[in-house]
Amino acid sequence: MNKLIKLLVFVFTLAPIFAVAQNNDANKARGGKFALTNAKIYTVTNGIIENGTVIINNGIIEAVGANVRIPADAEVFDYKGREVYPGMIDSGTKLGLQEIGSIAESKDFREFGDITPHMQALSAVNPNSVAIPVTRVSGVTTTLTMPEGGVLPGTAATINLFGYTPDQMYAGSKGVVMNFPSAQRRWRQTEEQAKKARETALKTVNDAWDKAEIYAKIQNSPDTRYYPEMEALAKVVNGEMLLYIEVNTAKDIVSALEWIEERGYEKVVFTGVAEGWRVADKIAKAGISVIAGPVQSLPTRQSDAYDAAYKNPSVMQKAGIKVALRTSDTENSRNLPYHAGFAAAYGMGREEALKAVTINAAEIMGVGSSIGSIEVGKKANIFVATGDPFETSTQIINVFIDGYLVPMTSRQTELYDEFLHRVPGTQKNTVKTDG
Amino acid sequence: MKLQLRKISFRLFLLLPLLVFAVAIQAQSDPTGKSPATRTYAITNATIVQAPGKVLEGATIIFNNGLISSVGTNVSIPSNAEVIDGTDLFVYPGFIDGMSYTGAVQPKSLPRPDNLFTPDPPNDYAGITPENHVIEQISVSENSISDMRQNGFTISHTVPYGRMLPGSGALITLIDAENRDDLVMYNDVSMYTQFVGAPGAYPGNTLGIMAKWRNLFRNAVNSKQHSTMYASNAAGMQRPTRDRTLEAFYPVVSSDKPVFYNASSLLEAQRAIRLQKELGFALTLGNLKEGWDLAPFIKETGTKVFLSLDLPKEPKAAKEKDKTDEVKHLEERRMEFYKKYVTQPVVMQNAGIKFGLSTMGTTGGKVKDNLITLIEHGLSEDATLAALTINAAELLKIDHITGTLDAGKLANAVISTGPIFDKESFIKYVFVDGDKHEYDKKEKKSSSAEGSQAVIGNWTYTVTSPEGVQTGTMIIREESGALAGTISGMRGGPDADMKNLTFVDGSLSFDFSFDAGGQSVEIVVVGTVTGNEYDAEASIAAFSISFPFTATKDEGK
Amino acid sequence: MKQFNMYKTIFLTALLLLGATVAQAQVKKGDVLIKNGTLLTISQGTMENTDLLVKDGKISKIGKNLKAPNGVEVVDASGQFVLPGIIDAHSHIAGTSINEGTSQVTAEVTMEDVVNPLDISIYRAVAGGVTAINLMHGSANVIGGRNETLKLRWGSTNPDDLRFEGAPRTIKFALGENPTRGGRARGIQPQSRMGVEAMLRNAFSDALVYKKAWADYRADKNKRKVAPEYDLRMETLVDILDGKILVHSHSYRADEIYMLMKVFTDFGIKKLTFQHANEAYKVAPELAAFGAMASVFADWWAYKLEVYYSTAYNAAILTKNGVTTSINSDDGELIRHLFHEAAKTQKYGDLSDDEALALVTLNPAKQLGIDHRVGSLEQGKDADFVIFDKHPLSTYAIPQRTFIDGVKYFDIDTDAKDQRIFIDPESSIEVVQIFNREDQHKCMDDADLVYLNDLLNNN
Repeated sequence: MNKLIKLLVFVFTLAPIFAVAQNNDANKARGGKFALTNAKIYTVTNGIIENGTVIINNGIIEAVGANVRIPADAEVFDYKGREVYPGMIDSGTKLGLQEIGSIAESKDFREFGDITPHMQALSAVNPNSVAIPVTRVSGVTTTLTMPEGGVLPGTAATINLFGYTPDQMYAGSKGVVMNFPSAQRRWRQTEEQAKKARETALKTVNDAWDKAEIYAKIQNSPDTRYYPEMEALAKVVNGEMLLYIEVNTAKDIVSALEWIEERGYEKVVFTGVAEGWRVADKIAKAGISVIAGPVQSLPTRQSDAYDAAYKNPSVMQKAGIKVALRTSDTENSRNLPYHAGFAAAYGMGREEALKAVTINAAEIMGVGSSIGSIEVGKKANIFVATGDPFETSTQIINVFIDGYLVPMTSRQTELYDEFLHRVPGTQKNTVKTDG
Repeated sequence: MKLQLRKISFRLFLLLPLLVFAVAIQAQSDPTGKSPATRTYAITNATIVQAPGKVLEGATIIFNNGLISSVGTNVSIPSNAEVIDGTDLFVYPGFIDGMSYTGAVQPKSLPRPDNLFTPDPPNDYAGITPENHVIEQISVSENSISDMRQNGFTISHTVPYGRMLPGSGALITLIDAENRDDLVMYNDVSMYTQFVGAPGAYPGNTLGIMAKWRNLFRNAVNSKQHSTMYASNAAGMQRPTRDRTLEAFYPVVSSDKPVFYNASSLLEAQRAIRLQKELGFALTLGNLKEGWDLAPFIKETGTKVFLSLDLPKEPKAAKEKDKTDEVKHLEERRMEFYKKYVTQPVVMQNAGIKFGLSTMGTTGGKVKDNLITLIEHGLSEDATLAALTINAAELLKIDHITGTLDAGKLANAVISTGPIFDKESFIKYVFVDGDKHEYDKKEKKSSSAEGSQAVIGNWTYTVTSPEGVQTGTMIIREESGALAGTISGMRGGPDADMKNLTFVDGSLSFDFSFDAGGQSVEIVVVGTVTGNEYDAEASIAAFSISFPFTATKDEGK
Repeated sequence: MKQFNMYKTIFLTALLLLGATVAQAQVKKGDVLIKNGTLLTISQGTMENTDLLVKDGKISKIGKNLKAPNGVEVVDASGQFVLPGIIDAHSHIAGTSINEGTSQVTAEVTMEDVVNPLDISIYRAVAGGVTAINLMHGSANVIGGRNETLKLRWGSTNPDDLRFEGAPRTIKFALGENPTRGGRARGIQPQSRMGVEAMLRNAFSDALVYKKAWADYRADKNKRKVAPEYDLRMETLVDILDGKILVHSHSYRADEIYMLMKVFTDFGIKKLTFQHANEAYKVAPELAAFGAMASVFADWWAYKLEVYYSTAYNAAILTKNGVTTSINSDDGELIRHLFHEAAKTQKYGDLSDDEALALVTLNPAKQLGIDHRVGSLEQGKDADFVIFDKHPLSTYAIPQRTFIDGVKYFDIDTDAKDQRIFIDPESSIEVVQIFNREDQHKCMDDADLVYLNDLLNNN
């Protein structure tokens, strides 16, 4: 049989079987070779390609451009009138670590103790959390999933929102989380009292880091005892791992900047940074990048302008700080594009806001070479939309994570399909009369 | 031998106050030598301010057996009088406190009843006891009596501690007495009420309190009507059930007894006014701190008002060098509101409102400083004096017996070494009911804070609760001779003021409450201090639950 | 004297029945002409390049080329969008207390008593285009207290100035986890959804007995008759039975929503709005048949078990099944962008612009019984509206000016930074509160207050 006949046999005998199989597999992701054509491509790092093509092969972006040859064996998606973006990155969530907020047994982001930097968020990520599909069908493909709790609650991990084991989800970046001791002036507390409180809290932190610095020097000695907390911190001391410092008030931010200068740690990122706008020039001067948000939040002080929180990312970005955004959410990490939209509206502009949820986030987490933009050689974290993803009228058509085309369903869409026109309606088993 | 002597003298010491009273009243022998030689006094050649604006120079006033017998520049001195040379002394009418807890002792908190979670928990736990009288809480040995007297007060409208409707207030005279009955001039002069909910029970907060108030009042109206009808003709009519709580409302319903509302904040005052407008009782706003916007209403309705003498501390500005424009602005705005507090009396005065003052929430030691603050912010000295004397007397309907230095009135007077609102002057004598109390300048500190250095400072506390271990800070300081403190909230909640902070014989106790979403939750902490360690138990009365509470005092300070 | 007392009783009862606010505040009314705006009227579609004339706080004319009377301010709204003032059917801002959660039926309490005009959240909500809210009692008990409908007239320290004069009374009910958790913590009923139903039926049965006792008393011709005990709680329940008070019930699960409709059917109560109602979509046909309404979140879910099986398509399913639906905030942050929350229904269910905008304007007005006054731009209605720079369903839209009764309460051009109208002079000038999204679920957390753990957390 020649090739043509082979093909015909395939089409008429096997193809229907394939189709049936595909139908049954509607809820399954699939990998392979995909060509996304005729699309408006927002590469983020290399501008916008008005009518371009992206080739995805085996998880990697193989080609991007206006004149890309489509491989014969690629599954072709005609995205005429559609827009293609790199997957959005939410730089601060508990996604995977919490299922239901009020049920303690479903919460795994907090461990007992103040100094627990060796607690691994990645190990506790539930790949089958119902919130994960809910999130990714909105174009959020990646999150920084963080532990919470004491002074050093654990190690956060960047995960892609598709995979059946934590390792399949791992996006290649981890960082130790630290809650910077707050000098927040409490009600009716004098300045001196606040200062003292901060000093006490800082001492706890410094004691731990002093030990970590010693440990970093001696850890290779065979006689050094196993000390998992210090081992985790030593990686930060050695510059092998990121340190995410959660710090929010203006005074604390200034203290944290001094603290870093004293300590000299290299890979430091500020998170939260709610009052960053007050001291943006100082953060910029120190060259520290920030993960800001949630953008949709209240001003930190009663006396502040009503839109202080909305404007915060923009003020910092304009001061020259590299800004990524976070929702600080779990089940509603899907709202990341709207947080970005608010940042854009309140001064940041759409282009910078898009960077804040893509390439900036990736670079801040140290994975800028593998995700965060549509570039050849990067992981294929991509979504396709009917328009501007920051607008609520826009629909997300398709999402690719690590090159897998993931199903566009979640429990929330399934419930919609079942209940929009419920059967039966108000009457069960009654005879219908034609009208 | 020595030991025994000491024992005896200690016993004598205990007996001493009793002996003084006995002698003073029975006018018999007094081995202590402390009772006065005579109850007739003549203060001569003094500046006598009979009433605000009515000043006699080089005048004499005679007190005889508790009353003012004469006052003027041409007064003959009785032969049995103790003569006090009043040259350089200034004599004023005794001060009258419009609403305070002076003389009252806070009762022990009630145990949690079994049937707490009903729409109608027991009245005493719910704090609905308007039938009670403050006299039950009064103690002759209460420090506040001497404390307030030393600062010029001779009469107090004292109200009971408690919750929503703790009971009736009484006018008490601030004498040294043996029996509490001797202190009471007029019993049951007011129905005292406040916005204090029952911990964990109905009414738990303002919502329930407002509703309960309406319900009680309206039932009292019906019940009173029923009782009146029954009294005139019982035949064929259901016997009314006797309800002491409702009966206590009868004179309120008929507007014969005023309702004294502890309405310190603007919103509390507005709520009290709201109830008054709906139900139509005779309202007096007491302890009012934030009434600057209410002057038109108060004037229009003739509502009686006692303004609070418990003023906020003057805000301190930050040091010049670290002042940003923002800080300057915020300091200005804070000062703008501080001024609203300290000019409240001026606002009332300008609106033509006659007001008195109340000391609730403050201590005797702060009275003069706060009066001077009011004067510095525009209140005239005459108006200040009037608020403390004649206006208060008129508002409390006792101006026929006190409020001015006129013959025939009570011998209640304050005598100072200079004009009374001068910073340098001090109160040398206070006469209450004709009894002389003499003071030296330095004797300002009350005894409650003595020996308290052991607890003053910053503490770090740890609570072990079912939720886990939580830490925070508490700060104990001395304020006007008494202990005061704040405790930081658990898990970053707001700071709370420590209340009922006492340190006696190594035992430190206090309570504090916090607002848990509109519900006030009270925590009582009791324990012992050893060196820098505090070992205590914290309990939530409403839940009959307690847990360990320990604290360590910071070294250094 | 006797007669006086009798008169007083009648007078007081009458007052109560009318729910009259004795203090009638003097509220500012404005005149203004809005020129050349795109009017999103809600009730009559979109009108481009149209003027809106306000006289004495009311919309007096809508049309082209309107002239401003002498001295009346003219606002140029060219290229801008005019939306009826946003109405939040579920809010807890501007209240000093939220729950009288100490007992399971507290119908007698009212949020009217705890209005806090000093809350800075009011200004922030106005800056988000909100002009009216339903200040709700919390959800700690089965029958909570009466809510209070407010207009956000920021700047006055008098609570009476914020009341929505003439708005009907509404009351809060609560079903499901919150009241049953309270029951479990205290060892009393209800501890299950069965118990909630029984408690509701008991309460209304008691109210019927009470109603009869008073009816008998009033019909009694005997001059020496004795009045039954007066009970404000029962009075309120009777008013619910008589249709004088609109019920807003906190609810999540489909079964409890269905249960309440059955109870109300049995007692003849018709005016019902379900609050939160995350699973209302499952019984949308039943809601439509009953005539019940729903006020929901755009997308909140998973914070507790009873909202785990939620879908953000809830509002769309309800709308498409004919249920009058609104989107609410229940929160001091979310209230600032309800227009954006409404816009999410275009992503989750493709609602039209008018359908989406009605969710935060005309529909909540219907649920609060104030749709004859507000909720759409129509001649004769109150001049409560907000002007946006872009279409309010765009994420990039920013409210520019907010008017209530024709008076401007927010103007982005003159928005002075520090808007506080009350400051504690003893507070630090730097009291900083870091926003925590987890603290947002105010109404839901209220029920936790009875828990020791929550007391200690002070959440």
